[in-house]
Amino acid sequence: MKLGSYEVKLEKKAKVTGWEAATISLLAILIGLALVGLIFRQAGVNPLTGYRAMFSYGFLNEFGLPLTINRSIFILLCTCAFIIPMRAGLWNIGMAGQLYGGALGAFGVALAFGARESQNPTVAPGFLIALMMLGALLGGAVVGAIPGFLKGRFNTNEIVVTMMLNSIVFWLVAYMIKEGGPFMGGGGEGQGFTLSQSIRPPTALGGPFTIPLALGLAGLLYFMFAKATLGYQIKAFGLSPSAAKYAGISPQNVTLLVFILGGAIAGLAGYHYFAAVPGVSKIPLNYGDFGDLSFYGIICGLISMGNPLVAIPFALLFGGLTNGGRFVQGQLQLGYGIDYALLGILMITLVAFQYFYRNTVVWKKMEREQ
Amino acid sequence: MWEFAARSLDAATVFTIAALGELIGQRSGILNVGIEGVMLFGATLGFIVAKNTGDYLLGFVAAIAIGGLIAALHGFLSITLGGDQVVNGMGIWILGFGLTAYIGYSYTGPLGMERLPDVAGLSPFFFLAIGLVILTWWVFSKTSLGLQIRSAGENPSVTEVSGINVTRTRYLSVVVSGMLMGLAGAIYSLDYNPVWSVNFLLGWGFIALALVFFSLWNPFILLGGSILFGTLWQFSLNPQLILPSVLSRYIWRTVPFIITIAVLVLMSTKWFSSRWGAAKPEALGLPRKDE
Repeated sequence: MKLGSYEVKLEKKAKVTGWEAATISLLAILIGLALVGLIFRQAGVNPLTGYRAMFSYGFLNEFGLPLTINRSIFILLCTCAFIIPMRAGLWNIGMAGQLYGGALGAFGVALAFGARESQNPTVAPGFLIALMMLGALLGGAVVGAIPGFLKGRFNTNEIVVTMMLNSIVFWLVAYMIKEGGPFMGGGGEGQGFTLSQSIRPPTALGGPFTIPLALGLAGLLYFMFAKATLGYQIKAFGLSPSAAKYAGISPQNVTLLVFILGGAIAGLAGYHYFAAVPGVSKIPLNYGDFGDLSFYGIICGLISMGNPLVAIPFALLFGGLTNGGRFVQGQLQLGYGIDYALLGILMITLVAFQYFYRNTVVWKKMEREQ
Repeated sequence: MWEFAARSLDAATVFTIAALGELIGQRSGILNVGIEGVMLFGATLGFIVAKNTGDYLLGFVAAIAIGGLIAALHGFLSITLGGDQVVNGMGIWILGFGLTAYIGYSYTGPLGMERLPDVAGLSPFFFLAIGLVILTWWVFSKTSLGLQIRSAGENPSVTEVSGINVTRTRYLSVVVSGMLMGLAGAIYSLDYNPVWSVNFLLGWGFIALALVFFSLWNPFILLGGSILFGTLWQFSLNPQLILPSVLSRYIWRTVPFIITIAVLVLMSTKWFSSRWGAAKPEALGLPRKDE
């Protein structure tokens, strides 16, 4: 293509540098936000006003900011759950099912030790909190292990299996908390039982203790991929499964392991929002919304190119945008679900922009022809 | 009992038409795992247009058009940009799921129009579905267009050399495939279950996707599989009618998805692929390397 005295060409490239990736990601986010701006316009709201309202509620408001942080930590955990298989070249889009599994694990433990509201647990509360977290890790890991095992053993497509599991575990939760299920709460509203006061976990600096935990986990994962043998094995397998095999890495084990780790972390996300965030303390009626929110983990993982530390600011951004979006849709009388629209549009823009990871735009000054 | 059978066939109609769409795209070599998203677009837009205009026909036309358009987007990402088809499909699904949640929310609730007339107690679309199954079989096994599409899915390089424009053939198949998915979505939202709510397809698109693998790319097996899954789904809605107090209905809801996983696993075994593996389009899901 010719533009003035320049020739513009697309060339294939083998490797992306960090700066290129950052530019591509930033451009994709900006284009995504601009497209959502069209939705604002269409609803009769000036996009700048809309975004200003979203950001100021999401990041500057004393009620909005804690909500943003809780959501961001949830998204960060889902991102980590996505990143670990991603570094091994595998797609985990089953964070929804895995976090439901984690919630079932945690609340199952609570129920087993009599920790319903207005009851006192039969073991020490601190011990039970630790047990519940273990239950969440285990619940998520079990759901994650299924696609990992099937992929490793039979090479069954992990994307389709994780999508199916999202539906399966969704209905399992419905069974547990609705219509007389074992986790049903009082009042017959179709939500889970509320945790007894004594095992609502401690807070650190006013927020749930899962905040420092998640940040620490992201740091640990970064270290694992940068320095540890396991991280090296996962990366090697991701770059070339067949070469990794010759280096003595078992494809079956790596595949199973990354999905178990990812699933366990997604399970922790379920524990974080349903058990540790103040004011929830149950599997709520709208638990499916959190499954939907977990898909921001894919976006965050793609943008940060699998780097858990880079993912932190993006998780914060999307936590604030979705939280602010929910707020402005009421305030500015937009339709419901601007956060969903944002999710869909960002996802497709990022997928389209993957093209520029493989190709590069070359500008060449042409010789003047006399 | 007749009522149950009729409703099962109604459900099977949606599965058949959506899965036929997927089958046509896959025969040309393009895998679209975003079928649920395309169906959500068709279902939502069809619902909105029909409700606003009071005209079913316009609703179906809108659904078919948006289905073709969204599938063309998948085609652009997969054929022209040459990206990973599974990743693109996932993007299409989340786009459909997110955007239709926003677009449709103010239409939450029943359609509020007179129901479409029955034909012999069945949805008229059931007969359309059977017609489409036969038509698809005929096109693929008896016409040169069908041969052209199939060869684009088996060996695009050789097809190209033999003078067929693979890119054009694939675009054609993908757009037709999306139109059928959009139509299937609208049949769901205007005929089978005319009540809009967020993400109301509940994974039907994924079941349709699995049905294509299950069918070994044969339209008649696909029809049989759709009837099986339609019956299963209908049963899972009210299991107490047939098996009183055997498991909760929520547990039954998981059954179609569990069977889907089982089918996928079966298909990926060596035992299976050494016997029936040849049915799969050879170049399915692979980006073109010969450019």
